Amino acid sequence: MAELKLLLKHTDDPKQKTVAGYEANGGYTAWRKVLTSMQPDQIIGEMKASGLRGRGGAGFPTGLKWSFVPIDSPKPRYLICNSDESEPGTCKDRVLLENDPHAVIEGMAIGAFAIGSHLAFNYIRGEFDFPANVFEQAVEEAYERGHLGKNIYGSGYDLDMITHTGGGAYICGEETALINSLAGDRGMSSMKPPFPAIEGLYGCPTIVNNVETLACVPHIINNGGDWYANMGTEKSPGTKLFSLSGHVNRPGNYELEMGTTLSYLINEMGGGVPDGRKIKAVIPGGASCPFMKPDQLDTPLDFESIAAAGSMLGSGACIVMDERTDITWATYKLIKFFKHESCGKCTPCREGTKWVTQLVDRALAGEGVESDIDKINSICHNIMGRTICPLGDAAAMPVISVVERYRDDLVERIREKTPLKMEQFDFS
Amino acid sequence: MSDTATKTQQPEQAQETVTLTVDGQSVTVNKGMTVLDACRQIDIPVPTFCWHPKLKSVGACRICYVEIEKFPKLMVSCATEAMNDMVVFTDSEKCREGRKAVIEFILLDHPLDCPTCDKGGECDLQDNAFEYGLTDDSNFEFRKFRHIRDKDSTFDDLKIGPEMIRNQNRCVLCYKCTRANEEAFGENDIGIYQRGSITEINAKPGGQVESLYSGNLVEICPVGALTASDWRYKIRVWNTTTVDSVCPFHADGANTTLWRDRTKVLRTTSRPNDAVDDGWLSDITRYGYQIANSEERLKTPLIKKGGKHVEASWDEALALIAEKIKELKGAKGSPCIAGVISPSLDLASLHCFNKLMRGALGANSVDYRSDYTALPTESGSVYAYMASRDFSIAAVDNADAILVVGSNLIREHPNVHLRVRKAVNNSNSWLYTANPLVTKSADCSTDEMLYRPGTDEVFLNGLALSLIDQGLAKSEVDVSRVNTLLAPNSVSECANVCGVSKERIDSCARKLAESKQPTIIGGELVSGSIDREKIANALFNLAVLLDVSLGDSGEKGQACILPRAANSKGAEALAITPELSNEDKFRLARVIGELPELPGRNWDSMISGAQGEEVKAMLIVGANPAQLSPDQRAVRKALESIEFLVVADLFETPTTQYADVVLPLASFAEYDGGFVNLEGRQQEFTAARKPIGSALAGYLALNRIADALGYSLYSDESTLNKEIADLLDNYTAPTRRPLLMESHHTPQERPEESYPLFVGDALHHFGHWTEFCESLKSFESKAKLEISPELADKLSVTEGDKVRVSAGEKKLNLKVRISELLEGDTLFAPHNFSATAINALRKADQRNCFVRIKVTESAL
Repeated sequence: MAELKLLLKHTDDPKQKTVAGYEANGGYTAWRKVLTSMQPDQIIGEMKASGLRGRGGAGFPTGLKWSFVPIDSPKPRYLICNSDESEPGTCKDRVLLENDPHAVIEGMAIGAFAIGSHLAFNYIRGEFDFPANVFEQAVEEAYERGHLGKNIYGSGYDLDMITHTGGGAYICGEETALINSLAGDRGMSSMKPPFPAIEGLYGCPTIVNNVETLACVPHIINNGGDWYANMGTEKSPGTKLFSLSGHVNRPGNYELEMGTTLSYLINEMGGGVPDGRKIKAVIPGGASCPFMKPDQLDTPLDFESIAAAGSMLGSGACIVMDERTDITWATYKLIKFFKHESCGKCTPCREGTKWVTQLVDRALAGEGVESDIDKINSICHNIMGRTICPLGDAAAMPVISVVERYRDDLVERIREKTPLKMEQFDFS
Repeated sequence: MSDTATKTQQPEQAQETVTLTVDGQSVTVNKGMTVLDACRQIDIPVPTFCWHPKLKSVGACRICYVEIEKFPKLMVSCATEAMNDMVVFTDSEKCREGRKAVIEFILLDHPLDCPTCDKGGECDLQDNAFEYGLTDDSNFEFRKFRHIRDKDSTFDDLKIGPEMIRNQNRCVLCYKCTRANEEAFGENDIGIYQRGSITEINAKPGGQVESLYSGNLVEICPVGALTASDWRYKIRVWNTTTVDSVCPFHADGANTTLWRDRTKVLRTTSRPNDAVDDGWLSDITRYGYQIANSEERLKTPLIKKGGKHVEASWDEALALIAEKIKELKGAKGSPCIAGVISPSLDLASLHCFNKLMRGALGANSVDYRSDYTALPTESGSVYAYMASRDFSIAAVDNADAILVVGSNLIREHPNVHLRVRKAVNNSNSWLYTANPLVTKSADCSTDEMLYRPGTDEVFLNGLALSLIDQGLAKSEVDVSRVNTLLAPNSVSECANVCGVSKERIDSCARKLAESKQPTIIGGELVSGSIDREKIANALFNLAVLLDVSLGDSGEKGQACILPRAANSKGAEALAITPELSNEDKFRLARVIGELPELPGRNWDSMISGAQGEEVKAMLIVGANPAQLSPDQRAVRKALESIEFLVVADLFETPTTQYADVVLPLASFAEYDGGFVNLEGRQQEFTAARKPIGSALAGYLALNRIADALGYSLYSDESTLNKEIADLLDNYTAPTRRPLLMESHHTPQERPEESYPLFVGDALHHFGHWTEFCESLKSFESKAKLEISPELADKLSVTEGDKVRVSAGEKKLNLKVRISELLEGDTLFAPHNFSATAINALRKADQRNCFVRIKVTESAL
């Protein structure tokens, strides 16, 4: 298994972001096919056959998610594209929004049709000013060409699309918080159930899908679910975008077939670690995933294998840290982020992330004590699984993995009893 | 009477249930209820911070963890639906550990200021920390304080409302205050700022937390983060005792608890009664207890000597009363004596008043409606009929369509207002508000229909005609004469006259007709109108055509013109009116003995009789017509010309100025008594303190007057209570055949360049007593002319400008307050403040009060 360009096939083509360029590369054929010859249950059937799993991080089967929308609900339904890409290290959705917006539009349109929605939203994070403008422009063009609007392709089907920019909060990438934010409330997550597919935006059935997930949809419709299922591994089919960053020679977005190994991504695609330094740790799927040790580099990049290795595939943001990295400092950076982004609704996440930050900060300042390590561990276990939304888990998991796998580093740092000199981390 | 309210309006539906096991006990609850509900049902304690029985569960605080078999994680019981065969453990080791961790998290930044915190002793966090937080090794090594964003410092106390202080350091961020404010009250004056561990609760930018329900936010705060000025630093809670009480102001009859030390009442909290109040109190109910403690209370009787009131003993005052009354009665006979009483007084006082007037003095001139004019002169009016219908507050929850007409509901019935909101929020009910001015309920209504002032019955007739035109009226009703009964007599003409379009009238009529359980509420703008009979007829017609239950006819829902004061319904049932039906006469004769035969005067006729020298002596108990009655000129002239006037009240009022003898009354917190709320529910309140000075409860004062006249009202209190019970038990509301009634509109000419002025209660006041409550004064203490932003623009006035408001030759100088709640050219001014005689602008014989405005002094 190696590089396989499906989503990134045309992203380097500057014409791809225009509707004409996209059509020239075979765009909107799937949408036309759907409207002229397919029924919603057929689409969901193809999606189920493809085995496509959500690319936002949780990996939930997309076809199954769509099938949860109640068929007989008299309420309007909504499809929301989750473009609130804020997981540290992740920059894959941005590429699609900026360079292939019509693929996202087409995917959203097909998804909306499949669940019987006539209004689709793209919730783009507030900081994505440029991608939001590109996407908005693309939506306008799609309207002009009749891909959106009233009576599309004469099928009698109407679909409107709204671009909405958020206020800039990591939590709004969580679907219930996203829905609250989109509805005009504070971006705070809510308890599930009720799940958004039953009671989401404005209390109506709502499907929230990641940008990359939706961009896959036109390919599956064009080529069939079975074709897609043949790529990748059995349980994690297809290709996946990986945002490679950190101590590598060629950081960037790479599209690999699922099941390609971590070392292939780092060494073949990323050109390895500069100056031949050794790898100390790898976060395979974004800031919320447990750290992996260098002896785990042969792990295939698919949902199951990474989980078996004690981490998560997450959003596919692979962060490489070389031997110079102070693990305590890296942990501090992560937990500080989660503390800052905790919405403050439920107690364990709000108070726990703050407490862990205080303890790790103390270790960095050379004022820590060794018992802090166990305390950090116990606090994180009191956060894990005890919160409303996965942000609490996201904050606790990497820290727990550090305590388990890099305890010696922590102990060393604490025993030094001097503040960490930050200059040594000037990697410019 | 008390059981009418318990009548359920909806047929009992077979509810699906689930059965689960909690700590080894089997419990069955309705499907859809939570595990926490199940635990509470069998009294298994589960700690909570963010949960509130009347709010949606959010699962934020995480203290209510329970362990459920087959669930890998601890579950928050408040947000986990109870399922069949669940096995729940509320006290397992895992569960206790989970809760302990939450307490540990919460205490991380919580100040240890319990010794100076007003919540100490009744604090959920204290209790739960005691239960789950005890640990030998302290984990807390960091400075304990909540950080202000970007600052290394902690929060100071902050006054965020007229009566509310916020201590952010103590806040556990359960968000109960912000959720209740939005969900239950529909207010937006308190909010969440920042996020994560530096989250802050605060008033909206540039604003204050000053809604009518602000006190509830303090009450539901689980810790001492929100405290109210009235209770702060006064006393520790364990040094107080409580008594049960009832709101003495609004007719809703919210149930309360009064907290007292040995001499004073210190605060009011809710005594939740889901049938009446859902546990929410208006600030008037909450802070109204302060009338009991006020230093401005009358402490001794006063006698007028040489034009001035001088303090006197009860014996002196009573001797003078006896002497003068005997003298006048001897000279002019009983008809020269008249009396009015306030419906804010308890049942015993009302009854004793009736007995004193009718039994001891032989005078039939009694009334309790001194706030109104153009009163019905005989029993059996349609208005009286519509005002005496059965009404259930709890049934509003189930109403699928609600029509509120002529009622500024939040000001008149704060608890009914919340029920209406609840019905809209929880049951998606259709709410139609129809008023001549914008009201608060409009913000959740399906359609807010603003009709022209003085066209109430036209709008209602429009609805009735629309029902007939659309074929939606109940088929058995004879509509053949509708063209002559109603004028105008077509929907489009009605629409033209009242200013609400035909389409909106039609759609409202359709929704009401489709409704299975409609609720129709008429309010103070109906009761207070001189054309109340016409409007009542129109409402009656509508109810008949919709087949709405009127007690003795109709099938579904409820329709009622709601009474105003805490005991209006009681006064009606005790027959404190001059015009008596035969049933009333029979009931009264059983307890009073022979009734005087000469016809009595109602309030209107007492005023004209006093001016015509026919009424020579008057007894006014608790009422304040010189301030609250429309047409002040006539009232004041009448009070002046009365030869002997006795006024009993809590305070010196514009009315006591005219009195020859003033008697000090005890407040509701100083004696035991009962009120009948707007549903007909009889509720008791208990004394919380001794009466101030030599003040006496109304019934005691009246009995002493009777004694002085050589008549005994009752031998002991149990006989008195028996008499009252006898009267109430035998009370039957009037009946009426479901025949359409006449309702002709007579237009009133509007002078050029004039604006309609509405007079009523200020948002934070009720009647004339609340202006003596310090807390309520901090919300509003002066009468200002409320004016809509657009009219302010048109007249180029700004907030704080002084204007001269004139109606005919009557003039008043008022400050302007620009109210976002008003629209168009309607004006509002409160009549609660004795310093400003707003009612002087009104005329008794004119339906609308049109005034002119001239700016006299600019604020800038």
